[in-house]
Amino acid sequence: MSRSKWIQFVLDRMIWFILLLVILFFWLRAGDKFLTGINLINILLHASVLGVLTIGQTICLLSGNFDLSAEGAVSLLTVLAAWLMLPYREMTLAQAGGIGWELSPFIVIPIILVLGTVIGWINGFLITRLRMNNFIVTLAMQLFLRGLAFVISLGAIMPGTPKEFNWLGGGRIGAIPVSVIVTILLFLGFEFFLKYSRFGRELYAVGANRDAARASGFKPALTITKAYMIGGFMAGLASWMLLGRLEVSVPTLGVGMTLETVASAVIGGVALSGGSGSIMGAFSGVLLLSVVDTGLNLMEVDPFWVTGVRGLIILVALLLEVQKARIRVGAVATRSGSSTGTAAKS
Amino acid sequence: MDTSQPVILEMKGISKAFPGVQALENVDLVVYGGEIHGLVGKNGAGKSTLMAILMGIHQMDSGTLEINGHRFTSMTPHEALEAGIAYVPQQVRMMDSLTVAENILAGNLPVNRLGLVDWKATYQEAQERLHKLGLELDVHERVEGLGVVEQTMLAIAKALFSNAKLIILDEPTAALSRVDIDRLFGFVRSLKKMGVAFIYISHHLEEVFEICDRVTVLRNGQLVGTYVVSELDIPKLIRFMVGEDIRDYERSSSKQDDPVLVVKGLTRRGHYEEVNLVVHKGEVVGLSGLAGSGAASLGRALFGLERRGIGEIWVNGKPFTARDPRQALDQGLAYLPQDRYRFGLVGSRPVRENVTYTILHQLLNPAGLISFFKERTLVQRYINDLGVVCPSPEQRVNLLSGGNQQKVVFAKLAATRPSILVLHEPTQGIDVRAKIDIYRIVDELASQGVAILIISSEVRELLGVCDRILVMYNGKITAEFKAGEPVTTPENILLTIEGGNIYEQKQMDPVRS
Amino acid sequence: MESNRANRVFIFVVDNLIWVFVVVSLIVFSLISKSFFTPFNLVNILSRVAPLGLLVIGQSFTLITANFDLSSESAMGFTAMVAALLLASQKNGGLGLEWNPFVGILIMLAVGVLIGLFNGVFITRLGMNNFIMTVAMLMVLRGATYAISPGKSVNFLPEAFKWLGGGALFRVPLENGKMLAIPASMFFLIFAFLVAFAVTKYTRFGRNMYAVGANRQAAEAAGIDARRVILWVYIISGFCAALAGLLDAGRMDSATPRTGAGLIFPVQAAAVIGGISLFGGRGNLIGAFGGVLLWGILDTGLNIAKVSPFWIEVSRGALLLFAMFIDALKVSYLRRTAIRKVLSASPIGLKDPIQQLE
Repeated sequence: MSRSKWIQFVLDRMIWFILLLVILFFWLRAGDKFLTGINLINILLHASVLGVLTIGQTICLLSGNFDLSAEGAVSLLTVLAAWLMLPYREMTLAQAGGIGWELSPFIVIPIILVLGTVIGWINGFLITRLRMNNFIVTLAMQLFLRGLAFVISLGAIMPGTPKEFNWLGGGRIGAIPVSVIVTILLFLGFEFFLKYSRFGRELYAVGANRDAARASGFKPALTITKAYMIGGFMAGLASWMLLGRLEVSVPTLGVGMTLETVASAVIGGVALSGGSGSIMGAFSGVLLLSVVDTGLNLMEVDPFWVTGVRGLIILVALLLEVQKARIRVGAVATRSGSSTGTAAKS
Repeated sequence: MDTSQPVILEMKGISKAFPGVQALENVDLVVYGGEIHGLVGKNGAGKSTLMAILMGIHQMDSGTLEINGHRFTSMTPHEALEAGIAYVPQQVRMMDSLTVAENILAGNLPVNRLGLVDWKATYQEAQERLHKLGLELDVHERVEGLGVVEQTMLAIAKALFSNAKLIILDEPTAALSRVDIDRLFGFVRSLKKMGVAFIYISHHLEEVFEICDRVTVLRNGQLVGTYVVSELDIPKLIRFMVGEDIRDYERSSSKQDDPVLVVKGLTRRGHYEEVNLVVHKGEVVGLSGLAGSGAASLGRALFGLERRGIGEIWVNGKPFTARDPRQALDQGLAYLPQDRYRFGLVGSRPVRENVTYTILHQLLNPAGLISFFKERTLVQRYINDLGVVCPSPEQRVNLLSGGNQQKVVFAKLAATRPSILVLHEPTQGIDVRAKIDIYRIVDELASQGVAILIISSEVRELLGVCDRILVMYNGKITAEFKAGEPVTTPENILLTIEGGNIYEQKQMDPVRS
Repeated sequence: MESNRANRVFIFVVDNLIWVFVVVSLIVFSLISKSFFTPFNLVNILSRVAPLGLLVIGQSFTLITANFDLSSESAMGFTAMVAALLLASQKNGGLGLEWNPFVGILIMLAVGVLIGLFNGVFITRLGMNNFIMTVAMLMVLRGATYAISPGKSVNFLPEAFKWLGGGALFRVPLENGKMLAIPASMFFLIFAFLVAFAVTKYTRFGRNMYAVGANRQAAEAAGIDARRVILWVYIISGFCAALAGLLDAGRMDSATPRTGAGLIFPVQAAAVIGGISLFGGRGNLIGAFGGVLLWGILDTGLNIAKVSPFWIEVSRGALLLFAMFIDALKVSYLRRTAIRKVLSASPIGLKDPIQQLE
């Protein structure tokens, strides 16, 4: 038992070991350039938007559902925010201004956050009430939202968002970007929240065994809808952060981020089947992807290789995950062999 | 009984032990060709273990197994299939979206010279094969469009096409109407004439008398005997099943006078009709019935897992209106589900979390977060009180033994301080020691004034722990037995469970000779 | 008996719903625009959707066995790039090898098969989740395509290579004196769907696919090697992706690092609209062809009707959602009728209806 406990311990923290190894690798290859303060902050900056989205994705995955719509929400909400804030301008060279209302950022920010949450609620409603497949619902939602982003922007980019708006994405406190601080706080906050709140308990219970959760007095439909609403809210937050950093809205923002968020979560030990994994685990996944990106970038590797390397990392992480599950099942089987006999009839 | 037929199956001196339980001890079973052989016994008598050995799912510890003259010392499920053993469960699972013909010929569709599937030949062959067995089904129909009895008959036919010699029918009639049962029996009888052997497992003894030639009775993992059905009657068979009446648990009643749960005229079409019952404070009431009698649905409906139908329910003198488990718990009704793996526990989470799922709102600190201190003390108290054996409260629940898992479910329910506790098969699949512990817990709760309703098919168990036992048959409560009265015997209870009436000398007319 | 017939009619209509959509959309667009229902335009629709169609075939094969293959769009891009590099001259972006086009075609098909084999082995032998495995493959292949490409498109491919995707089979004179080129890709698309239909309907392998998708345990009990069937399905999907790459590179006369990017959602949508169920074991390739047609008609029709391309994007999402909705309705209707039958046959309830409903 002590040996399997030890294996369990290592397996559960595998990702941090891998992260250490990867950092060591880059340190050796890229030399001192890699371990400078600026570079480390860059890594975290790179991880911020992805991280915020990954929190939302992780919460949905814990409830046993995918949220593929978040990247579509990012496309729409960034475009919408710029459109509402910027002065009107004729389209020139695929650059355009907003609708001309020039709303204050203090109105626009709540709007996109609320809108993100509403999108999440719609997802949750379709999935829990109409019992549609979560994968397809959120996929269709992604297409739909991105389509709307194109409709609003007419495919043009809208540069020059107001300063007050950019604070979250582009501002710095001392040398440290605000977005990095916020992301880290969010990860810690949600880790704490899921551990100590009633909602966290419900989330894990619903994801692991929906029927038992219901029979214990939880309401799975409500919990899942809430999970999607948090996912949508995080998408709104990520939009704010991303647009603030770039100061220009591009309707293709967010493309491909869904896979990255799912990958980060899975690498960090979040099970696709739901009910298992942690927010900090997902954070380690985000860090890994971000370290790899930044490291390869520093080594001046052709950026096209980076996608491929990421895919490979996901594959390896998945293989480990599957093997981990197998080892666990093995351990459970030897431990509880006694119950199989009597449970034969059920 | 035609003994000129060859012996299809001979099991001799089969023993099998699971940790903590001797599931089978020195059991014999002989089945001839062209015989329908009943296998009866109460839950836990060893029927399923015996069949699991026959199907190669479990390995026997000792004994010999001969199928068609071939001797097996150990067997895989695949070898069992090869040897001609087929199992037809109550709920047949087939390839629903495909046609009958494809289901019959799956993996072996006829092809023409070009190697392409010959659909005409497929339908024709399927039709012919079914025709040979005297089964007329539309082979173009998709399986999902068939009724239950057709699906069962199709499953039997399919087994025969893959050269099954012996077919195990496990409670095939539980979801069937009388007309369908007749069709199924007609089909089984015609196959019997062709020399196919059947093992027929059923709790409906009436049907055993209707269709079986011989019957083997198991009790507590031991063989009682094999009897020719025509020399037997139902009371005698029940006596064989029950054995000597030994009380393995002594208790004193803690019943008080105020009613806690009152059900008046509860009716849900197709499930139960006009159910009236009262459970008093501190009283333990048993409710028993065959599968489909409505007892199980009643339990789930009370907890809000299913629709409840019309009728009145009162808990503690207030109308009980809960529509889902949360509301039911809030109004003082807790339910222990039969399938604890699916409905009772979240297996991958620790014991601590499982115990407190139902009462999280009571553990919140002023900040709205869960107070781990309160939680740990509470969980530790229940672990001690109920004697849950686990290395730590952080242990995952699915790593515990069955009995300890059940205690965790009890803790979860007891934590809500319910006024009425509904238990559905509380001791299924757990070992003897843990069973006694569970009885002790039930008693303890009752003496604290909790009203308890146990839905169980284990009559012995009910006799041990209940103040009263109600029997449901065909959706209605048909009999009531009070503890300590002379008429309250396992035989009588089983008889009423089977639909008989203990006050009439002539039991059950359908026993035709 | 009466309800039985109604049920059968219902199933028939639902199974062939796609053709209702196709006909309705054809009529609607013909009424909206005069230039829609012309031979030129109709032929154009078919040749434009040909690469998509090939991907749909591959996807349908995997979906019938209840598996996803999300990597096929990248497989298409990767194989096209491989072939283009081998065939194009150095100044047009190739490696300058200028191999025989037929060798190039063979190599790209072989690469497609290898990709499918890789997916299949990981899923069936190593127990990886099919969805995530193919998503990872999608990323790996896209990255690899960028990596091997010269960073831009590779153009001007040999005639023989282009023929299938962009060549004309023969020309028909039109009323106005012009000649209408009948593209080879159109015939190839129809031919491919016919072959795929024949394979799924008339071979043992095809029927085994349905059996595995409908109920894997039951199929294995009937002696079908499910893992082998699934492995082969992925190989076929990889092969189809390579063919799609061939058609697309031929039609565009180039391969770019982005060839095929973003196609995976239309592929899923077309298959699902065409009646291929995501739950496996349902639908046929003729229906999937209808799905491809509908996709092409809507695309072209909305274009001709001068709908903003951005609204087209929105309508695609809505269409997928709608198709999904119909699929979910169909499956739940069928399940519910099955349960109702049981209930009506029995005087008293099922042993455990809740376990079937939930």
